[in-house]
This record gives sequence, C-alpha cells and structure tokens, in this order.
Amino acid sequence: MATTYPKCSPTEMLGLLVLLNDHKGSEDVALLADDLDLEIDEIFPALEYAEVLQFVKVTDGRATFTDLGRKLVGASIRDRKTIVREQLKKTPLFRTIVRALEASPEHRISDEEFGHIISFTTAKADGGEQNIVNWGRYADLFRYDADVHAICPARKVAATKGGGRSPPPTPPPPADSKPAVRSSSGSTEPPRGPGTASAVA
Amino acid sequence: MAIIRLDNVSKSFPTRHGSIAIMQEISFEVKDADFLAIVGPSGCGKSTLLRLIQGLDRPSSGSIYFRDRPVTSVVGGMAMVFQNFALFPWLTVSQNVAFGLEALGWEAERIAAQVERYISVTGLDGFEEAYPREVSGGMRQRVGLARALAVEPTVLLMDEPFSALDALTAEGLREEVLQLWRDPQLPPEAVVLVTHNIEEAIQLADRVIVLSRRPGHVLAQVEVDLPRPRDRKSAPFYDLTDRVYSLITEGGTPPSPSGNGGGAIAG
Repeated sequence: MATTYPKCSPTEMLGLLVLLNDHKGSEDVALLADDLDLEIDEIFPALEYAEVLQFVKVTDGRATFTDLGRKLVGASIRDRKTIVREQLKKTPLFRTIVRALEASPEHRISDEEFGHIISFTTAKADGGEQNIVNWGRYADLFRYDADVHAICPARKVAATKGGGRSPPPTPPPPADSKPAVRSSSGSTEPPRGPGTASAVA
Repeated sequence: MAIIRLDNVSKSFPTRHGSIAIMQEISFEVKDADFLAIVGPSGCGKSTLLRLIQGLDRPSSGSIYFRDRPVTSVVGGMAMVFQNFALFPWLTVSQNVAFGLEALGWEAERIAAQVERYISVTGLDGFEEAYPREVSGGMRQRVGLARALAVEPTVLLMDEPFSALDALTAEGLREEVLQLWRDPQLPPEAVVLVTHNIEEAIQLADRVIVLSRRPGHVLAQVEVDLPRPRDRKSAPFYDLTDRVYSLITEGGTPPSPSGNGGGAIAG
C-alpha cells in the first residue's frame, strides 16, 4: 500500500462510499462530485484514502467499489470500524505507529515521538497528526490521551498496569516488516498491542 | 395514537414596533414510528417549532400535547440534536454523552453502562477521552447524537443536524442516522427533523410537513412512500422533491397583513 496518510476524516470517506453506493457502485468521479455540488478536488482526499484502503478503484476517472468497499458500505456502523481497522493495519503509516506503541516500554508515544514516526513514514506531516490520531481512534487501533499528550494502546487490549485483564494472545506480525521506530530499550517482548480482531472474514 | 399533537399553534414575538407573527395556526401530529421532517424557507419558524414541542417555549395561542397531556413545561422523553452540536468543550466525549444522564440524576454505574452502549452504537468507541476540539465535525455530531439517544427519548428532535457539516460528512452521517433509526433495539419511537434541505427531508422522512414563508403555516403534508434506502436519482424521488419545492416557491403568502408577495425562496 502506498505511504499515504489520510487527509480526510473517517466520516468523510464513509460519506463518499455512501455516495458511490447511491450511484450503483461505479461512477465518473466528476459526476460524483457534481451530485453534491462539490468541485472535483473537494472529493479527492476522501477518494484517495478510500483507494489507499482498497475500498475503491479509480480507473480512467471512474471510481468503482472493490468487493471490500461494497462490503463496507453494506455493513453496520460497528462492523465498518472493524473493516477499516484491518485495512489501516496494512498501511505502512498505521502499522508503524502500532508497532512503535507495542515496542515502547511504557506503551505510550508522546507527541514528539509521534512527530518522528510520521517523519519516517511520510514526506511531511503538515499538521495532519490530529487526523491520523482520529483515524486510529476511529478504528480502535490506539487511544490518544490529550491530558498527557500521548498515544496509548486501545482500551480493549490495553495491557493494564498492575493486573487487571490480560490481553488476548496475539500472533506475531508478518516477519517481513519491521517497525521503523523502536524505543531505545529495544524491547523484544512479543507484541501485545491492538491486535487480532477477527471480524473481517 | 399520536405521540405529539399540535393544535392551531401560533407564535408571535413582541417588538418595539408591534408583534411579529412567526407562525400561524399550525396543526399536525407525530405518530408512533413516525420519521417526520419539517421543511420551509429560513425564518418560517422551524426551529421555534421544535422549541415549542420540547416545551422550552410556549405558543402564543393553540396547544401542544405530548401523549395527550398538554405541554406546559420542558417535556421529558424528548432529546434534541443541534446544528452546532452544542457540546461542552471542557468535557470529553464520554462526559458529554453522560451529561444528560447526570442531569436526570442517574447513578454513576448506570450512567457508565449507558454511555458505553451509546458510544458504541454511534461508532464513537476510541474517542471516549477525546475533547470536542480534537475531533472532526462528523464525530462531534455523533457525540450530539449519542448524547441525545442515551436518555432514550421517545421523540428525537433534530434541528438542522447536518447543515454545519461538509457535504461528504453529511452524506455519511445521514446514512448512519437511518441505520440507527431502523434498529428496533434503539430509541426513539419517533423523529422530528427540521431542515431547509428538501432532498434531505425526502431521503430520510416518512412524512414531510411543508411550511410557508413567515409567518409559517402548513402548506401541505407530503407522504414519502418510497422504500429505503431511497434512490435520489429515481423518478419518484425527483417528483416528490419537485412537488415540495414547488409548494414552497409558489406557496403564496398566508392571509395576513404582513405578506409581501413574491415567489422567491430563501434558504
């Protein structure tokens, strides 16, 4: 997948898919924009990210659902989050953030560290950090604690300090990929971060 | 049985130059399982109508009934979703959703469970600790929706809920509102949506009340007998949109001295 980061909100991308569904799942991009009285460049961010997440294919100026895109738009509000999560986890950007979070000794990524991570994965961040955080929140990949300015593990799978629920066993990530950023302690613990929601099948 | 009944409701506001009539002799009912939309040009009193229904304001004449009891003060059993979200910026998403329940005096444990449920159904999990300023407009309105639904209202009142959102976000959120509405496990029993967007009204509602220019009166009640999800490009959809649009643009002025003729539609 491309090293692209989201320039739209999750709801915007979902709105585009709903719109495409109104057009029977395939439509000229200009006509899609026109339907909402938008300029074509106003739907590009949503279209681009829908393509990055493999919900839509754009060929010769025409957007068409992939099977997964069709499945997403037919899914419930909750199931959509799961589908988006699985796709986000395949992007270098979010894979890197999740790995970094798992590897960090405190299971926490500060704003500053987050900036470093983004600089590794994209050419420039240009203020898109908040949006990236919100995609991660939407997909339950991680949380963001505005009070301490840090990304933290998603609640359901969070390794709670001092006991509490233990996270479900997580299979190791594919061997081919390495996190771009690791904490200096070089943790070798098995990953225990947001993991294995298996609802997409 | 009607959940809400308006009987010849008029409202005027006093000014230094005499009173201004906002709406005149409005009568209609909200029935069980009704998704009702109220459309009309700006200034026809749509939002005022919602305030009257909720009991936040009193009509100048006429009566409003909730389950056959006259509305004389704020009615429990109703919750509002606002155009500008009306979230408390110093509260997190969870705390904003909990707000209405705290106001109702629920116990903490029950509030927590209810908040979790409605955070989840509106797709907000992951945003629990976010502050409104951190999230997009679409997410903010989800919070507004979760907060309203959490009190499990009989009637959900929505005042231009999509008009502060960009077009794609609004498109996405409208579809989600329909999803929630179709879910029999969830409140409310009826929805009253105020909008100036005719297509939106026909896309969402079972019935559209068309109001005239100020002073607003009911021009027509249009049944939308189209299966959902509705195809906005279908001929019946187009015909209904056209009919409502014509009603509003040609909707003449009411028999009142303040009418100024003309056929332009505002908003």
